Order: sequence, then structure tokens, then C-alpha cells
Amino acid sequence: MSDTPKVGIVLVSHSAALAEGTAELAGQIAGGTVTIATAGGTEDGRIGTSIDKVEHALRLADGGVGVVILPDLGSSVLTVRALLSDADDLPDQVVVADAPFVEGAVAATVTAAAGGDVKAVLGAAEEARHARKL
Amino acid sequence: MPESCEASVTLAGDLHARPAGALAVAAAKFTSSVELTVGASRADAKSVLAVMGLGASSGQQVTVRAAGPDAQEAVARMVGILAEATKVGG
Repeated sequence: MSDTPKVGIVLVSHSAALAEGTAELAGQIAGGTVTIATAGGTEDGRIGTSIDKVEHALRLADGGVGVVILPDLGSSVLTVRALLSDADDLPDQVVVADAPFVEGAVAATVTAAAGGDVKAVLGAAEEARHARKL
Repeated sequence: MPESCEASVTLAGDLHARPAGALAVAAAKFTSSVELTVGASRADAKSVLAVMGLGASSGQQVTVRAAGPDAQEAVARMVGILAEATKVGG
């Protein structure tokens, strides 16, 4: 199973610390076999989003079998959409998950670690909306 | 005809995030449906968030039920992870 390429995850947040911390948490829970790339904050380290950072993360996360992108809030979604509609030569099978950031990242990474395809990983992220924690 | 299988294990430690992740990753590799029951709560073992949502803690009994062609292997694997992973915590 470990030799089979896995769906990659991209976490897009206004905050670099939030993106990196969420990646660390999801990676630990899922056992560390999935590539999670982050695009947090602006180019100069402020709170915000960067289309170049998202594109870079997308290429890092691509293992050839698809990438699921999780944006945190508001303009993260707009930045991801702008990239997907404008950029040329992006990896195949890139999808954006409409999901809570932390829960979605954990559920998506676990499903990717189990060998799920893009559809399964996207579904796991989006089902996280309905998960109760109490 | 799908076979079904069931076993219970008493947790040696709390079911933290990492063991929940290990369970879900392992469960998702089986064809069978796999369900965990703790008291009155049930969770699909393939959903890490549902497994964490059980809030299962040390000393509680977890029942694993699987149905499908690889149900026996699935239950054995889940019981093994529950017994081992809850020892070290997460």
C-alpha cells in the first residue's frame, strides 16, 4: 500500500501557523503517509492569502492521483478559485472541499492514507460538516 | 452471503486522536462494513471523526462488528489496534 501514490492534501489558510499546525495534526493522526502541503498567509508573512503559495503547494502535493484543497475562510476560497480558473498546466484531478478546516483536513488525510481516491477523500472532508464532537 | 463477526475489547487507555486515526485508516482498507459500539454510541470505524466522537475512555468496553467478505480479518485487526494503540495513548 505504501508504494501506491496517494491523493495529496493542500491546506490554504490566512495564517501560516494555522495551516502548518493543522497539517501537523492531520499528519500525526493519519500516520504520516500522505503529502500535506500548506499555503498560509501572504508572501511577506502577514495574515492573508497568496495565489503563488497555493500554486506552489498544489504542485508539491501532487503525486499523480489527484489533490484535495481545503480553504479556511472567505478569500482563501476566492484565491483557490482564481488559481484553478486562470492557471495553466495544473495537476489533474484537483478539487476544492467545502468543509470545516480542522475536521475536514483530518478526515481527508485519514481517507487518503487508507488509499482512497479523490472522490473518497473529498467525500470524507465534506462529511466532516456533519460530525459531532460531543 | 456476507459473513458477519463481532468481538469486544476493554480499553487499556483512552481512545485518543492517533489511535482513532490508526483504526480508521485500517478499517477503510476492508471491504466489510465495520462498526464500533461503546455504551449507547455507535460509530462507523472508517470515519475518524465518528470514532473520535465516541469519546471512549480507559476501562470502557468497545464492541467491534463487521459484515462482509473480510469481516473476520477486519474485526481481528480492529481489536488488535484497540488493544495496542490505547496502551500508549495519543
